[in-house]
Amino acid sequence: MNDPSKTKLGPPIVGVSKNIERVRELIEHVAGTGLNTVVFGESGVGKEVVAQNLYQKSPRVGKPFIKINCAALPEGLLESELFGYERGAFTGAEQKKKGKFQLAHSGVLLLDEIGDMSLPLQAKLLHVLQSGGEFSPLGSEKEVKADTWVIAATNHDLKRDIEAGKFREDLYYRLNIIKIYLAPLRERPEDIPPLINFYVKEYSQMLNNRNLEKPSPNVIERMCKYSWPGNVRELQNVLKRMLVLGDCSQILDELFNSEKITATQDGAADSSMSQHASLTEIIDLEGANSPDSQSFSLKTAKKKAVEMVEREIISHVLEKTDWNRSKASKILKISYKTLLYKISDLNIVPPEK
Amino acid sequence: MKKPFKLLIIDDSEEILTALTNYFSQKKYEVASAANGLDGLKQIEAKDATFDLIITDLVLPNISGVAIISIVKKKFPETPVIAITGWGEHPESLAKEAHADFVLEKPFKLPELEQLVKKLLKQ
Ligand SMILES: Nc1ncnc2c1ncn2[C@@H]1O[C@H](COP(=O)(O)OP(=O)(O)OP(=O)(O)O)[C@@H](O)[C@H]1O
Ligand SMILES: [Mg+2]
Repeated sequence: MNDPSKTKLGPPIVGVSKNIERVRELIEHVAGTGLNTVVFGESGVGKEVVAQNLYQKSPRVGKPFIKINCAALPEGLLESELFGYERGAFTGAEQKKKGKFQLAHSGVLLLDEIGDMSLPLQAKLLHVLQSGGEFSPLGSEKEVKADTWVIAATNHDLKRDIEAGKFREDLYYRLNIIKIYLAPLRERPEDIPPLINFYVKEYSQMLNNRNLEKPSPNVIERMCKYSWPGNVRELQNVLKRMLVLGDCSQILDELFNSEKITATQDGAADSSMSQHASLTEIIDLEGANSPDSQSFSLKTAKKKAVEMVEREIISHVLEKTDWNRSKASKILKISYKTLLYKISDLNIVPPEK
Repeated sequence: MKKPFKLLIIDDSEEILTALTNYFSQKKYEVASAANGLDGLKQIEAKDATFDLIITDLVLPNISGVAIISIVKKKFPETPVIAITGWGEHPESLAKEAHADFVLEKPFKLPELEQLVKKLLKQ
């Protein structure tokens, strides 16, 4: 039972970046403690791998490792999944059912996407953690006690969720005894080559070592420059496609193209947002340019507003004329020199080609 | 001459860390410091480590002060730990649960902290 080879092993944490080395070191030091832990990071960065590694390096290895996704289930269902229920606790509860908290007894419970847990359930979870693992299943009078190591994972900024009233501050501190942060892949491109190496080997074995076209050094170099919004999971998918389809360059071209399209779409969304923003927002009357501040005066506020309008109009005309400045100055009915001055003064930049 | 007492101070605010380190060094303590929980824990777990007392902030990067207290109290139950906190109740009650010997709220006066250290070291 305690033989680690019998539990499904996750991959090792591959990488050479400072972030990953620090994470590995952190795991070595805390895996034995069983203290509540939160793993932070964007989607696909490896939060679950970290949880698995914590488990594998802990004395709890070989005991249950149970995962539950707090975002995937509606509140009521999540509650009964977590804490279980007695027979007849609600309509449809024909058989008593153990909750994951109890199933994970002596092992690990991974609360995935904890940032999506509802406030009432957060309250209940807090209560369970405060009592050292005691709770009663739905419809039951009796308390159950589970010795469960709780590891939570989230891609939310929980601090911000607390400010927005969506996450309980007391639960945050209760869970956050150990905090592990995984940086997005684009911030640690040096991890990309070792990850490619690792997964090429892994997938080649899966594909029976057929004669596969492996990414060339040139392709790997380009892969290091891509932004990987889906992080390691996206890298895995791209690698699989490359190994199966060959033609790495084509796949990469498509990747970079889609990256460009999302970027311009985001840009367009931003500018259409500002078109709908109220003047108060545009001039930031409630922030930096508030009448409460020392520098406020009608004159400065007016200057700000005029600048905004000018920037908007000049950018628009420049865009329409493909940045032909002499044409633009004629449309705007200002001198060529004035236009150049305004472009630099208002910090208007040409779109990237 | 008597051997000086050895302190470990953990705080992620450089200002506080420097102030405490300077103060206790002047008072003839031997002071080690760390700016986050992991670096603190590494010093605590080092083979030749023999800290007489640990002072830790509660909210820290990676390994929190609460974790430091729990780990120390498990492995070295004799070593006194003082928690310093400026973050309201939540971590403070956690520190007490983890059996911190004392929880001191920021801001505090340095002599106040020193008195506490002396008391815990039974000087
Ligand atoms: N450092 C790493 N070394 C090896 N494999 C990794 C690493 N990071 C991530 N992976 C792999 O990438 C995939 C995605 O990782 P994982 O599921 O842990 O991400 P996640 O952060 O939990 O994502 P999500 O937020 O979508 O749940 C997994 O197959 C995982 O094994
Ligand atoms: Mg995950």
